[in-house]
Amino acid sequence: MKRYWPMLRSLLLYFLLTGATVVMSFPLFWMISSSLKTVQETNSPGIVWIPANPTIRAYVDIFQNQDFLRSYFNSVFYVTLALVGTIISIAAVAYAFSRVEWPGRNLVFFLMLSTMMIPPQALIVPQYVFFNKLDWIGTFNPLIIPGYFAGGAAMIFLLRQSMAQIPKELDESAFVDGANHIQIWWEIILPLVKAPLATIATFLFVGLWNSLLTPLMYLQTVDLYTLPVYVSTLYNINQTTQPWPTIMTAAVLTTVPLVVVFFFAQRYILESVVVSGLKG
Amino acid sequence: MPENPYLNVLATAALTLLFIVASSFGLGALARGVARLRGATPKQQANTFAGYLFAAPWIVGFLIFVVVPLGFSLYWSFTDYRVTANQPPQWLGFENYQNLLFKDDSFRASIVNTLYLTVIGLPLQMGFALLLAVLLNQKLKGERVFRMAFYLPVILGFNTAVLLCWRLMLNTGTGIINQMWRAAASVPLIGYLLRALIYIQEIFSAFFLGINNGKFNLLTKVIEAGFPAANRVPLWVQSPMWSKMSVILLMIWGCGAMMLIFLAGLNNIPKELHEAAEVDGATGWQRFWKISFPLLTPYIFYNLVVGMINSLQIFEPIFVLYRDNQPLVPSAISMVYYLWQKSFSHFEIGYGSAISWVILVFILIVTVIQFRLQDRWVTYDVY
Repeated sequence: MKRYWPMLRSLLLYFLLTGATVVMSFPLFWMISSSLKTVQETNSPGIVWIPANPTIRAYVDIFQNQDFLRSYFNSVFYVTLALVGTIISIAAVAYAFSRVEWPGRNLVFFLMLSTMMIPPQALIVPQYVFFNKLDWIGTFNPLIIPGYFAGGAAMIFLLRQSMAQIPKELDESAFVDGANHIQIWWEIILPLVKAPLATIATFLFVGLWNSLLTPLMYLQTVDLYTLPVYVSTLYNINQTTQPWPTIMTAAVLTTVPLVVVFFFAQRYILESVVVSGLKG
Repeated sequence: MPENPYLNVLATAALTLLFIVASSFGLGALARGVARLRGATPKQQANTFAGYLFAAPWIVGFLIFVVVPLGFSLYWSFTDYRVTANQPPQWLGFENYQNLLFKDDSFRASIVNTLYLTVIGLPLQMGFALLLAVLLNQKLKGERVFRMAFYLPVILGFNTAVLLCWRLMLNTGTGIINQMWRAAASVPLIGYLLRALIYIQEIFSAFFLGINNGKFNLLTKVIEAGFPAANRVPLWVQSPMWSKMSVILLMIWGCGAMMLIFLAGLNNIPKELHEAAEVDGATGWQRFWKISFPLLTPYIFYNLVVGMINSLQIFEPIFVLYRDNQPLVPSAISMVYYLWQKSFSHFEIGYGSAISWVILVFILIVTVIQFRLQDRWVTYDVY
């Protein structure tokens, strides 16, 4: 018995791990499977694991649905625009906190860390009034512009930690060669923190792509809706039968970019989370 | 500003960039001027300029988007301000807070519901996260694939589309989860276990609903009804007694973030400790409780603090699962959902500001208590 124990043990572990994987990925499987069903099949009292006659009817329909296509474009547009500005400003601020000695740095850094304690919801009401005064309701501005001011203390912290590990001699020799801070930041430091930048970009992308509360508040017409807002309107509690295949088709198409991005970035994410103890 | 919404935001973004660059250089120059007056060396002056230049986006944003809004919302929380009304806000003193804390049944319900998610949901979430981390830490081949699979739900997390898929799966009659539940319940022993789970959950839930309305008749009814019949299934998104459990299910599904933290903690435990204990004849069970667990307490603490802040701020699942579902709303709303409802469905900005300040203070108190209590159970000195 003792001889077989190691093999038995790893067999048992694999069994448990595979079981957990099946459970954790089940919603994804079910989403895809349901998108290929008919409405009757999604409401059938028996289990339809995989539809007998898979139909791509819902996919054909949704690609002719102007509202869906526009909300997809809106999401891509606003996420890209917000992402670029947010990353650049975060990279600048992280540089100030890690590579430059300036009076007041510790105080400002402490203030920045303490903003992590403020729940974002405590700010949404006054920010709404502020954006209302600027006449920004019904535009993408409130979803994009705040990020340009280095939104996201946790992200700044993560990048700062990585930048602080780069040896000081690197910038000092560049100074001797006559480079200034902006050149050092852009040409020397940023290329060295590509992996943490990729991690931050992924976290920001996921947060923006999934965001529901702020788009819901500010985008008040259907032609500005982003994907989560539009998809949430497909489910209407007042209907007796929900158009599940359509909803799940929209869900699959919403999820694809997330899965693709995660697949390419997972190496960086999993490592940097393990290293820094940061949550996404 | 252009009429086209896309051009409009592009123009605003360009103007914002200009504003940020201008204010960065302005702030940098100002700081350099102050440094010069205080007699700093040229190198120190240059560094001061660069530091404020690079940090300016955050400093300016902090003032515009955090300090000023917090100040205004604190003021409004003492007024009857409504965004739709045209007259200036009227000063009310502590009336909003008094109504909120002592008279508003919906807000009390939202606190109790949020506490339910924290008290019942968070330990379950952390337990599953720890279990998965321990399984992954056995260093088997293919660990990376499993780790990816367990982390993916965090990425998909609270996306509306994914939440709607859960809504489909949780359907009481035809949903896949209850279909499988029924199949499993027909196996004798498992069926008994599942019925026990239903019983325990409903007792807990009825107890919390009892705190909500001050009457515990639902609890006595559940207990009097006795052990659930064989054909009972969970009424996930249909009954007030199950509405919160559905959200907890989602929390458990998204335990991957906590799992990664635990995994980092397990990796940091020195191998020698385990080896030495093994030589001394300690069993695997003993080694887990006497070595791994105490050394994991800092990570448990971290997950507890972050997890509690997150569960106190929960919004999306409740919005997607229960929005407009009137009979379920009182049993499911969270504090943030209520804040959203008051501020943006009813446009009561003054009252909404008071809610957000109560949430803010609540989270601060909970976090401070946790930091105070950590000396009693968190082990930091390893050697």
